[in-house]
Amino acid sequence: MKKALQILFILSIFFPIAFLLLLSLGRNWPYPELLPQSLSLENWEFLQKSDSKLLQTFFLSLGISILVATVTTALAFITSKHIALSKYRNKLMLLAYIPYVLSPVILAATLHFFFIYAGISGNVSGVLLAQFFIAYPFGVIILNNFWNHKTRAIEELSKTLGSSSWQTFKNVLLPISKNALLLCFFQTFLVSWFEFGLTNLIGVGSVQTLTVRVFSFVNEANIFYAALASCLLILPPMILIWINKRYIFATETVI
Amino acid sequence: MKFKSKHIFITTFILFAAVPVLLGFGYALLYSFGLTGILSEGFTTEYWEKTLLATEFWKSLGFSLFIAVVVMTISLFFSIWIVISWTKNLYKGLLSYVTYLPLAFPAIVMAFFSFQLLSKSGFISRVIFNLGWIDDLSQFPDWTNDAYGVAIIFSLCLLITPFFIILYSNLYQNERIPELKALAQTLGAKKNQITTRIIVPILLKKSAFTIMLFLIFVMGTYEIPLLLGRQDPSMLSVFIIQKLQKFNLADIPQAYAVSVIYILLIATLIAVVYKTRPAFFNPEKN
Repeated sequence: MKKALQILFILSIFFPIAFLLLLSLGRNWPYPELLPQSLSLENWEFLQKSDSKLLQTFFLSLGISILVATVTTALAFITSKHIALSKYRNKLMLLAYIPYVLSPVILAATLHFFFIYAGISGNVSGVLLAQFFIAYPFGVIILNNFWNHKTRAIEELSKTLGSSSWQTFKNVLLPISKNALLLCFFQTFLVSWFEFGLTNLIGVGSVQTLTVRVFSFVNEANIFYAALASCLLILPPMILIWINKRYIFATETVI
Repeated sequence: MKFKSKHIFITTFILFAAVPVLLGFGYALLYSFGLTGILSEGFTTEYWEKTLLATEFWKSLGFSLFIAVVVMTISLFFSIWIVISWTKNLYKGLLSYVTYLPLAFPAIVMAFFSFQLLSKSGFISRVIFNLGWIDDLSQFPDWTNDAYGVAIIFSLCLLITPFFIILYSNLYQNERIPELKALAQTLGAKKNQITTRIIVPILLKKSAFTIMLFLIFVMGTYEIPLLLGRQDPSMLSVFIIQKLQKFNLADIPQAYAVSVIYILLIATLIAVVYKTRPAFFNPEKN
């Protein structure tokens, strides 16, 4: 019974992936057919066509997410250290939690006026800044745990032994924080990659990320292209989660 | 130099984390009192009265709370049950990898998948038709865009349950539950007593803050109710955006009034946790 339930559980997790992949290969799915009437790679070939913007959309989304994740991780690493050392640590962390739990689309709705005023509504820079507003506090929350007594003791020891601040940072703090930094990068990448409401509102539909495209395809009732875009959306996170699970969690367990 | 760098980074943090929320809150507050915006004619409480006296807002708030409570109850039940029943399997083998896969699904993809699965012309309806249980797709129940948010609850559970399975399987080890379980067994506790008096209370207590955060997340979720919900009742985020994007300009101040209430609600909840459990904000004291 236990084994059967586990198999059912595993199948239920693979089912959405298989279902979306099947739809992405499909054409013409009249009711009550269980499967689309024709299955081919035609939809996927659409990606290579010059008039298809889906591949450009994929790379635009990837670019935005990598940039947001890189800037956020770098800045959050240093900021979280200063916050951890501050006597106002709890109060500052309270400030980090509010934008973290706030619905991004509501934050975007209340800030949209300022983006229009600054002339960055409807373009990539506006979307980058808006996503940074939610990713940065999240990054600080993730890395806040890293700056504990143990890390600070190692840093102090390095300095006591004669290292300069730069040497301590480069040769001591960066190597021991590798996993925390990777985790922060992955998580903030996913925040940006998954974002729809805020991107759609600040981008005013002009910044077509993959999530926005999925929504457009669904609105156009083009379920096959929506499935194709969905497959593109779940691919990078799956690779990241696999790397995360395989390398980061594995090494953390060893330590 | 050290003094300067510390202050530069903390100021940057406040500038990018707190100031946008305050600016947005201030603008929404001014707009809702008629002090700014296209319709601005000076201070008025008219839009607040309209918002608070209309059943639409209270229905939206109630519906969001209902969805959040149901989703969390279902997700917590299944995640705790899976962790307790399959403890050993979650740390090795296929199950240990597979549990992470749903985390790769953005909310919009999960909403699209649920629609293709649960709608009247969806996959389940087709299976049931082919089994001969229904003769026409109109006989299939309304699971999408329905009054109880069945598809919304389904999608959110699919997204949230794996997260709690991972969280609880980690807590199970970190809180040394296997050892406590063995001790309780030695002292004569029954299987049921161990589950209800030891394992479940420890897991729930240790995850109380995360549960509260997820309740807030679910209340503010946007993509899933946008695709799978109906206009009345709608969840809070959808309600606000619909009011903002309607052609009726008189609805915009009301949308901002609801935004102000939502931000205040969240800030209050976080502030209450900060006052009662400050350790949540400082992991070294947790």
